[in-house]
Amino acid sequence: MSDSFERTLEGLTRVAGVRAALVVDADAGVPVAAEVAADVAAPALAALSASAFRRSRRAAESASFGAVETLQLEAESGHVIVAAAADVLVVVVAEPDAQLGRIRLEARRTADGLR
Amino acid sequence: MSGNPALDEMQRWSAEVARDPSAPAFLPLARAYRRQGQLDAAMRVCTRALERHPTHIEGHALLAGLYLESGDRERACDEWSTVLRLDPGNFDAHRGMGFAALERADLGTAQWHLEQAAAARPMDPAVREALAWLRERLPRESAVPAPGAAAVRDPSRLFEFLLEDPVFLGALVVDARGLVLAGTLAHGDGERVEALGAVLGEAVEEAVRTVEHLALGAWSGFLLETDAAVLHIAPLSPELFVLVAARRDAPAGWIRRTAVRAAERARDFIEGAP
Repeated sequence: MSDSFERTLEGLTRVAGVRAALVVDADAGVPVAAEVAADVAAPALAALSASAFRRSRRAAESASFGAVETLQLEAESGHVIVAAAADVLVVVVAEPDAQLGRIRLEARRTADGLR
Repeated sequence: MSGNPALDEMQRWSAEVARDPSAPAFLPLARAYRRQGQLDAAMRVCTRALERHPTHIEGHALLAGLYLESGDRERACDEWSTVLRLDPGNFDAHRGMGFAALERADLGTAQWHLEQAAAARPMDPAVREALAWLRERLPRESAVPAPGAAAVRDPSRLFEFLLEDPVFLGALVVDARGLVLAGTLAHGDGERVEALGAVLGEAVEEAVRTVEHLALGAWSGFLLETDAAVLHIAPLSPELFVLVAARRDAPAGWIRRTAVRAAERARDFIEGAP
């Protein structure tokens, strides 16, 4: 199972500017598969991004905006993109100057492929 | 039937919650687990129910108590914060936040929360004792004001310019306590807007924590795509953020640019500029 997730992530990590790509269990917040740069702690990233996703989902549901598909955190030195796929999340960390549009698209495609 | 009424009742609640995690039986079931010392089970029951009912005040209050008993004061405070967003005068939440602030020696915040608790229940002995102790140490004028208290106005038309473009659903200024200070959304009624503000603060907090953990520097935005809308959230100050909501088919880049305009408008408003 994890091997197939890792193969799925390979496409994402080939995109320029991607520092980390993970498949994360949405409820438990633990990594199922990870391709990350040496300075990225996958377990902490998985836990925090899953928690941010769950809280965003609560916010969206409370206002009847429906299910959260993607969330994107923007910061001075990089971006975090989280795409939902059934009970897992695809989490990507990207450099600040990366092609965000391409990465968002790949993350979404990867998530759709995991549904 | 086991012949033990308490056990029978618990089995009935368990069956109801197993069928529907958000069934009203989640509260007595979680309390029963708590009485039995099964804190993890009680937390699980509450968390699942709150995912479906994020504005359930008693559920958040109970979860706060469970976190406190399990020694996780930080999460207890998160839950009490949520309770206060939904019910600003809640005694238990003010009391809990007050004593948590006392423990970390944040006396001004402790005094403010405990005074709110005392306003709700003047005769609570623990609150009275703590306040008396605090008043000996803090001059009255040094008490901190309520976070966000100064910014209460009636600015519902602040972002009307956005609604000229049919892709936008509106915008809000929300403070760190989850209170909506300005703006409105074309989507949903006032209650939903308030609920969104109340729980959005938590989502932003968690997002900021993620960015900090990854050492990505200051956060500049948070884009949330749902199947009905796109929401962009940007910081105005450490205490305030602005949310712009658009239809799902609005281009993300256009939303981000418009969010910058909305933030400028909000900043002018907050600073009192015409």
